[in-house]
Parts: sequence; C-alpha cells; structure tokens
Amino acid sequence: MQQALAKEENHPLAGTKMTGSDIIVQVLAQEGTDVIFGYSGGAILPTYDAVFRFNAETNESMPLIVPANEQGAGFMASGYARASGKVGVVMVTSGPGATNTVTPVRDCMADSTPIVVICGQVPTPAIGSDGFQEAPIANIMGAVAKHIFLITDPTKLEATIRTAFEIARTGRPGPVVIDIPKDVQNWEGVFQGKGQLPIRGYRERIDEIAENLLADEDCESFYAAFAKSKRPLIYAGGGVINANAHAEMCKFADKFSIPVVTTLMGIGACDTTQPLSLHMLGMHGTAFANYAVDDCDFLIAIGARFDDRVAAVPPKFAPNAKFIAHFDIDPSEIHKVKTVDWHHVGLLPQAMNKLLDFGVNKAKISSDFSDWHSHVADLKSTYAMNYDKNSEYIQPYAVIEELNKHAKGEAVISTGVGQHQMWAAQYFDFKSPRLWLTSGSMGTMGFGLPAAIGAQFAKPNLVVIDIDGDASIRMNLGDLETVTTYKLPIKVVVLNNLGDGMVKQWQKLFFKGRLSASDKSLHMKDFVKAAEADGYKYAVRLENKTELSKVIKEFMEFKGPAFIEVMIDPDAGVYPMVGPGMTFDQMITGDYIPSRTAKVDTKTEVDSSEMF
Amino acid sequence: MRHIISILLENEAGALSRVSGLFSARGYNIESLTVAPTDDSTVSRITVVTEGSDEVILQIVNQLNKLVDVVKVLDLTADEHIEREVLLLKLHDNGASKAVIETLTNDYKGRVVSDSKDAIVVEITGVGEKLDRAIQLVPSEIVFELVRSGALGIAAGKQILKLESM
Repeated sequence: MQQALAKEENHPLAGTKMTGSDIIVQVLAQEGTDVIFGYSGGAILPTYDAVFRFNAETNESMPLIVPANEQGAGFMASGYARASGKVGVVMVTSGPGATNTVTPVRDCMADSTPIVVICGQVPTPAIGSDGFQEAPIANIMGAVAKHIFLITDPTKLEATIRTAFEIARTGRPGPVVIDIPKDVQNWEGVFQGKGQLPIRGYRERIDEIAENLLADEDCESFYAAFAKSKRPLIYAGGGVINANAHAEMCKFADKFSIPVVTTLMGIGACDTTQPLSLHMLGMHGTAFANYAVDDCDFLIAIGARFDDRVAAVPPKFAPNAKFIAHFDIDPSEIHKVKTVDWHHVGLLPQAMNKLLDFGVNKAKISSDFSDWHSHVADLKSTYAMNYDKNSEYIQPYAVIEELNKHAKGEAVISTGVGQHQMWAAQYFDFKSPRLWLTSGSMGTMGFGLPAAIGAQFAKPNLVVIDIDGDASIRMNLGDLETVTTYKLPIKVVVLNNLGDGMVKQWQKLFFKGRLSASDKSLHMKDFVKAAEADGYKYAVRLENKTELSKVIKEFMEFKGPAFIEVMIDPDAGVYPMVGPGMTFDQMITGDYIPSRTAKVDTKTEVDSSEMF
Repeated sequence: MRHIISILLENEAGALSRVSGLFSARGYNIESLTVAPTDDSTVSRITVVTEGSDEVILQIVNQLNKLVDVVKVLDLTADEHIEREVLLLKLHDNGASKAVIETLTNDYKGRVVSDSKDAIVVEITGVGEKLDRAIQLVPSEIVFELVRSGALGIAAGKQILKLESM
C-alpha cells in the first residue's frame, strides 16, 4: 500500500547484538512508525525503555502518546491509520492493558483498518500460571484480530514484527496483535535488519490476488451488459479508500458520467460536492441515494459488501438492476450476501484503470445517460435533505451545516456512534478520502475523541473536528485531557440531547416510547466545566439558536484545543430511516423530506428479536 | 450436504483454536474434526466434516483461506476421495457378546484388539455410515464404551494436499 515496505538492503545496525526490546523498536522505525499510542505497565517496561532510549538518540522521532485508557490508544492508532493510510501502532502491557484493546482491535477488523498492537506478556515460564496481569491474549485476540502472534521463540521476534506489518497492510487490511513475553523482550540476540516469516499460504493467496489482473474477456462481458444500461450506478464502499483507488474510480465514473452513491465507510471516495455524487445510501442514507439504487438498472459495487445497514433485505436490494458487478479484494465477500452477475477479485486501482482503458479504447463506449442524469438531478432536488428550520430549538443539522461552511469539505471529521454520527455523515461535505473517520461496522461509542487525536498526529496541518454525542464522549472522556496534554488543536463538538438519541429514536419507533435506560437528563455532568478543568481555553455551551453562527465561527477560528457543547433539540431524529428488515421503498423520510411512496406506518409492532 | 474438508495448517501456537473458533463464531457445524502431524513437521493436517448448503460451504472455504495460519484448503467432496474412520468398541464379555463380535469381525472386518476377562475391545475401520451400522447392530446393554476417531480423508487419483504441490 502507500507505506513503503521495509527497506531491506543493508540496515546500518545489521549484525549488532541487542535486546529483544531494541529489536522491536528498530523494526518499528524501519516500518515507518512515527508515533506510538500506548500505556505502560510491568510486562512491557523493557520495550518502553527501549523506545525512550531510541527517542533520546533520534530527536523524539517516535513519540509515545499516552491515553487515559488503552482503548483510547487503540482508537488513536485507528484514527491515525484511517487518516494516513499507514499502519497505526499500539503498545500496551499484559493482562488489562491488552484486554482493554480488544474493542479497538475488533473495530479495526470490522472496518478493515491496519494497526499493529504490541502487548507485553508475563515471562514465558509463567504463561499459564495465572500470573499477575496475565490474560490469554492469543486466545482472546485470535477470535477478533486479522492475526495474532505469541512469540515463544525469541529468534523469530524480529521477523515476526516485520511480518505483522505486512499482514496488517496487505490484502484486506486489518489489525495484527503481537504478544511478547517479558523474557523475550529482555533476550539478547543479533539484529538481522531484514527477514520475514514464511506465512506460506497467506502470502501465496495475497500474491495470487495481486496478480489477478482484470482480463479482456471480463471487460468484454462487463461492457456487453453496460452497453444495454440506461441507468448505471456506482455503489462505492470503504474498500475504495483502503485500496487508495478513489482517483481511478472517479476517473472511470467521470468518463462515463455514472452517478455514485457511497456507503458510510466509503464517504469521501468521491467528492460529495459534485453533481453526480448522491452521498450516502442505506439505513440513514439520503432519500435520493436510496431511490437511485431502487431505480438503477446496472449496479457496480466497488469495495462494498452489501452490509445489513445497506441491504437489509438482500433479494430486494437494487430490485431493478438487471446486472450487478462486484469488485473486491476479499474473495469471501463475493456472493456472501447478494449473488452478483459479474465479479472481479483483485487490486482495485489496476482494475479501474484497465476497465476504463478497455471501455474507451476497445469497447468504444459512447455513453449518453442524460435522461438518467436529469432523473438523478430531480431526485436530488425533490428529496433533498431537510429539517425543521423554524423550531425554537437548535437543530443538530443546522450545527453541522454551519460547521461545514468553515470546514469546506477539507477537514478531518471523526465521530462517536449514534445520531450525531449519522447527522455528520449526512450533512458534511468531503472533497477527498481519509477525512471521514467513523466506527462503521462495529459502531463503537467513544471512537470519536481518540480517533481525532490519532488523526491529528497523522495530519498535523489539517483541521480535525470530533463530532460527538453526550453519551458517546463519556465513553472515553478521559482523552479530553490527552488533547490538551499534547497541545493538539482539535475541535470537540458535543451535540447534547440529554441521552442516547439513537436508542431513544428506536424506542419511540418500535418500543412504544418506553425510554429504558436511555434518558440522561438527570445526569450531573457539566461538560464545559469538565473541558475547562482539562485545560481547554475555549470551552463554551451554545444554547441559543440566534448565536449559532457567531459561536461556531469563533470556535472554528480559535487556535488550539477548543470545545463546544451544543444543547440541541432533544427530539431531533435521524431521517431518512430505512427500518430494520425494510426495503428502500419503505423508507421513513420524516416530516421534512418528501417520500415517494405513501406514508409508511411506523407504528407497526416489529418483533424486537428480529431487529438489530 | 455433508462435506469433508482437508486443511494444511502451520504448526503455530493457537492455530487450531482459530480454525475451530471460526466455525463456532460464524455458526458453521462441525460433525467431526481431527488433527495430526504430517510428514512435514512445520504443518499439521486437519480433516473437518461439516454440513451446509453450497453457499455455506463456499463461505467456509473462503473464510478458512483468510486465516493466516491456513496453508491450504481442499474440499474433498468435490471429487473422488477416500474417507476412513476408526471405531473402538469396548464390550462386556458375556454370552450375548459372542455372536455380535463374530458378526463384527466377519461382516465388518473388525479385529479384537484387547481381550481381558472384563472386557473385549473391537476395532473397526471404515466410512462413517459403516460404523453407524456397526454400532446399531450392538445391543446397548453389552456396550461399556465406544470411541470414534472422526473422519480422515484423502483425494483419489493424482490430486494431493501437500506443500510441494503449491
């Protein structure tokens, strides 16, 4: 991927005797690590010491950023990886240090984000003795990570660290955990400066996929169907961003003027300010994106996986598409949810280039989709996003729109999980990929703040905004202070609706309004005082609608860490909404966006066991 | 449909649990699972018998191929293959057992591998169905205990599952 593979030729320290800890740090440096996120503790102390000594010699080239809780370190590494395309690095101690990273590791797996987590472990002879701060990390992480290494043979340490980076970044990216007993860290051996583990099956499969170029026959069959299409649509997912294939995909889309919808993870794969961008599809996608999916006759899924938040009812997804083509790097995603008519498993940039070249020069496609374009433009204007603009309450959508005027599609936006996440996805613009950082598949509350911290280290020159909810930010609230400790100019926005807004929305729709454990109006937290206590020089509560644009302006222009809490309409909902188990034509558009179908009865009792 | 899948697996810590964990995490059935070393000390071979529609079996194979420690996967069911399982039956040594043991040794090619005054152990090798039939034949009151190995499988003809064939 982007990150250069380890330079293997003649490492200046090759042949030097050093400790396992020093070897770990040397390989990290070789792999391009310029920041580590982590928390110290007994079983990782030797390696923390090696990082300290390395930094003393190299002008702090690998700073250690310390979160409030190891979960924060995991999300920082994730934010760093998502924003940069490089591998994020986490370093934690054994037992609780390692188990606190289980959630971010699973989150990275679910969103295909490359990180390497280095965990200390009790010394090899103590493994299995129920030692102090011992946990079976290989067992626990084996179930959630892309791969886990438990290093029992110190002579394999160096090759293992290097291989972990290779596995994290190749194929479908993901998290790799390395469990390193303390005696392995203290072991002394000769640094080789190169070498990887054989990982025979994995490497063979990855090579096979990389070498699987899009064939002429496949292009022919693709264009034979495409030539008959009058309403083609691209459905782009996070894979486009992970593969760094957005430029190639957009070139292909532009050449044939194909409108693009993106998934939550694919936001930014295509400039949302362009006319043929229909923004996000799915459960909380724009109405026009979902209607376009219903209306298209040829669907091109690129790095997307027909997730249940997109295709809740797979047989009825894109019901008018006579042909569905699917590009992915993971063979297991082909036909997993939706049987497709055509597929290609391979590297995306090459495939997009080949497809475009073949279409222009061999198939000589001369597309005229002007009817479809005017249909799409009609959908965009008729079913545009909208909300209650006359309400006395501050509307969350208006807050995002106001922030968007300053961010201009060029800021990094991270989020927690819930309503604020969906509003941010719907109302922000993104002119390029790797600006939108959200916990998509796992939906982990508490992701936003630490992810913003990691992203700011990856992109020190970009504006980074954490859009958070009053419930989500509580989950990793300790990292409010991490922002100020490291003097990061991160902008933290808490949209406070006094509760778990998304949960309340579901309870109102499907549980007769019984707000079980989701009402937080009795909480005593004063977020502004909390931010002030953590050293924020700008910490403001916005309660008056008339002050919205003034406060947002000063917040955005403030230099340094800034915090605002916006008291929003506690009843604001996320619309459109495709209910669980519903099709796009059953989409609830709310009171302010028109619906193409007769009003859907939202009072129907849905079997709650069926919903998730 | 019932499938017999062979897997070559790196001899690494936790590799087996990741294979079995994949089946439980994704809700796939395991009818039997055997694992043993091979002539190459760096890999083990797993034979897993599972049940599922074509789509499910395709997913199982694809998901197994995503495990870093998995070197190779072969669904033997697709082509001609040989399947064998061992059954050990420990029977009471009484009058009623005599006739049964005779049938097992004659019709099922069983072998008496232990004969003490308390119990007789009979070994039978064959495909799963044959062992099922053998077990049904034995009245439960004369059975002390029985143990099955789970199925082993190998492809017929030239097809092999070895590192060299990669």
